[in-house]
Amino acid sequence: MATTTASITLSSPDLLSQAISLSSSMTLYKGDTTSTGLEQMNYHRAIIPIGTNFVLVSESDALKDNSNYIYIVNKNTDVTHYVTISIGAEVIGSLYAGDFMFIPWSNDVSETTAVDDPSGADTDIAIQAFIASNTIEYALFHVGETLLTHTAS
Amino acid sequence: MATTTAAITIASSDIADNNFSVSNTATLTNAGNDTGMTKTTGLTRVTLASTSPVILIDAGATTRLNTITRGKIYIKNLNDRGDGTKFVTVEMDAASPVEIGRLYGGDFCFFPFDGSSGNDIGLDPSDATSTDLEYIIFYE
Repeated sequence: MATTTASITLSSPDLLSQAISLSSSMTLYKGDTTSTGLEQMNYHRAIIPIGTNFVLVSESDALKDNSNYIYIVNKNTDVTHYVTISIGAEVIGSLYAGDFMFIPWSNDVSETTAVDDPSGADTDIAIQAFIASNTIEYALFHVGETLLTHTAS
Repeated sequence: MATTTAAITIASSDIADNNFSVSNTATLTNAGNDTGMTKTTGLTRVTLASTSPVILIDAGATTRLNTITRGKIYIKNLNDRGDGTKFVTVEMDAASPVEIGRLYGGDFCFFPFDGSSGNDIGLDPSDATSTDLEYIIFYE
């Protein structure tokens, strides 16, 4: 097993009359375990062109109903550039240039459907760029991966 | 205007052959410009003690002095991990819930939300164990 930690600090000296600062740290464990760390990770950098809502992370039987964690950062610098992040048909929110997000992803799919499209792509993580192409980096810390059998030509 | 930052580091010394570490700091601004967000709910603590799902943010509804629309949210499950089987699921859209993921004891999340009508954020406990969470929202 591996030990991966995520730490976050939110702070502001002037949002309220008193400075605020809160910090938290967590270890990325497999679901339904007391202390077994996630062992698998994918880290990507991609340029997302405008005009299409793309699948960023596909749902998979190997990931389903468990603990996976996704980190996404928008590396553009123009403050008007942004991407929307969706799960299924639901838009979660927009990442403008410099923004990041960190979420658990349980890949809530049907128990009875096929491997590559377990429930009609309803828990895919999707991304769409606006204004201009956006360069993003994202990491998936996960419990498993559906590997495709190679068919030699 | 206020300056609020969010800084994250994800690190591991053994998930890969070499040390892995990624860090970023974001300044929380309004959409499409560099004006800092000026509203917050403040840090709020809630306790869930049943299996009934609850709406944490009723997006688009004026349930406070201000209507909470576009913003960033941080949520943490304050319980300890216990036997590792208890969690609170973060969901979108109370009317037709879409599951994002599970916050086990000690877990947190931080993400933007668009706050349009129906873009609610909900919490769905896995069981009736008393679960303490805290959250803070920064919004436009």
